[in-house]
Amino acid sequence: MSRVVILGAGVAGHTAAAFARKWLDRGDTVTVVSPKDFYNWIPSNIWVGVGVMRADQVTFPLRPVYERAGIEFVHGAARAIHPEGTLDDPTPHVLVAPTGGMPDARVRVPYDFLINATGPQLRFDRTPGLGPDGNSHSVCTPDHATDAARAFAESVARMQRGEKQRFVVGVGHGTCTCEGAAFEYIVNLEFELRARGVRDRAEIVWLTNEYELGDFGMGGMQFNAGGYITPSSMFNASLFAERGIEWITRAHPVQVEPGRVHYETVDGTIGEQAFDFAMLLPPFSGVGLTALDRHGVDITDRLFQPNGFMKVDADYTAKPYDEWRASDWPHTYQSPAFPNIFAAGIAFAPPHAISRPYTSPSGAAIAPAPPRTGMPSAIIGKTVARSIVDIIQGRSGPLHTASMARMGAACVASAGANPFTGTAASMIVYPIVPDFERFPETGRDLAQTFGEIGLAGHWIKIILHHLFLHKARLRPGWSLIPE
Amino acid sequence: MANGKHAHVITPTRWTVFLRTFLPWQAWRFLAINLKMLGVIRRSHH
Repeated sequence: MSRVVILGAGVAGHTAAAFARKWLDRGDTVTVVSPKDFYNWIPSNIWVGVGVMRADQVTFPLRPVYERAGIEFVHGAARAIHPEGTLDDPTPHVLVAPTGGMPDARVRVPYDFLINATGPQLRFDRTPGLGPDGNSHSVCTPDHATDAARAFAESVARMQRGEKQRFVVGVGHGTCTCEGAAFEYIVNLEFELRARGVRDRAEIVWLTNEYELGDFGMGGMQFNAGGYITPSSMFNASLFAERGIEWITRAHPVQVEPGRVHYETVDGTIGEQAFDFAMLLPPFSGVGLTALDRHGVDITDRLFQPNGFMKVDADYTAKPYDEWRASDWPHTYQSPAFPNIFAAGIAFAPPHAISRPYTSPSGAAIAPAPPRTGMPSAIIGKTVARSIVDIIQGRSGPLHTASMARMGAACVASAGANPFTGTAASMIVYPIVPDFERFPETGRDLAQTFGEIGLAGHWIKIILHHLFLHKARLRPGWSLIPE
Repeated sequence: MANGKHAHVITPTRWTVFLRTFLPWQAWRFLAINLKMLGVIRRSHH
């Protein structure tokens, strides 16, 4: 009997748990540890944040799903990994702080194989005044998105009474990732203002750490369009110009006051932008897991990078940006320190930025972090589960691989939610991490990489919402739906 | 870098904007985009 423990119930962790349970014998156990007892289809939080969906339409309770599937569930946050056990008991285990329990309470969860899929810690604290407890909104969680929708509705009501409103959407720090989510939010917000007849009273500003629009933490993309290899910066600028959205690029927000965000840019410009409503995403870090050896000595630095993300089979050697290679990116997501530990999704440490990093004259890093969400997270979760199941079942051969340099991503960014007048930007990129050895011209396969705006994209987005929630609920046929 | 003019940006023609929500064209694009996505999904699973 083997025990597989998965930390986290997001896209990567939930996918890994579902497939591990499907492939393993009933004598083996699969346990999910998560501080949240609900699943959240995060891409649809965008629609919650503009008030066209409720939080209960993008979430569902995990316990009934796991009970039906035969997956054990521990409601709590993992705090410490003991990969060698202790002197008294050499069984590897994780110490978990039960949700709602006493602050010092810990539950010991033993494992034979561990998948760290803890996702990000939302670091609103890195910019003073940033976040729902400060002076801006977020759509990172269903609660945040619900609060954002409430504030957005208040702004709309003010405009309906004749007032003007200024909206700022984007990032709250120079090292943020997930610019794609903020992009979706700003174009949905603009669409909803038009739909509610108040667009002419709104000023909308995109505030981003991207060096050029359309970077998305992937160094941008190039599309073959109209006989030209066209950068995604033109694609995004065109959409913003068409929608009357202004933009501020290359920015590092340094403080968010009530109604005002202060920022500096790569060239040293110090600026400020007034707002009545701001949705600014936080930077991410790892969740702060620690690791201890059998003697209780802290070995966190053997398992994790200083930013809290887990080291896996990537090449983390420090090198100038121009010397990085696609092959530096991890393949198996196995910890080099302990072969029975893997990471999946946002929890693994990327070896380097995909977008070229910049530093402002004051020393602030202005560099979009690489995205590891959605499709790649799910594929990595499934791949890691397959490798562990193969080891448990005694199959010989190498571990399964899912390098982001050999993986594409299909991203459908909603630009307005209406079945007849809505649109979405459908973007396909292959591979996610540019590989200039295989594709010298742009780093990507131009026959696959593609972008288009239209109603068809919105239909696909709606279908994906229902399809992926069906899959996550582990309803009949779930495993046939691709990640 | 603040940009308030949009003077150096490509913008769609009225025909392009019309096609974005023209149902027969979008039905075709729905099929085409799905086929492209399936191709990338197939290449991404090893």
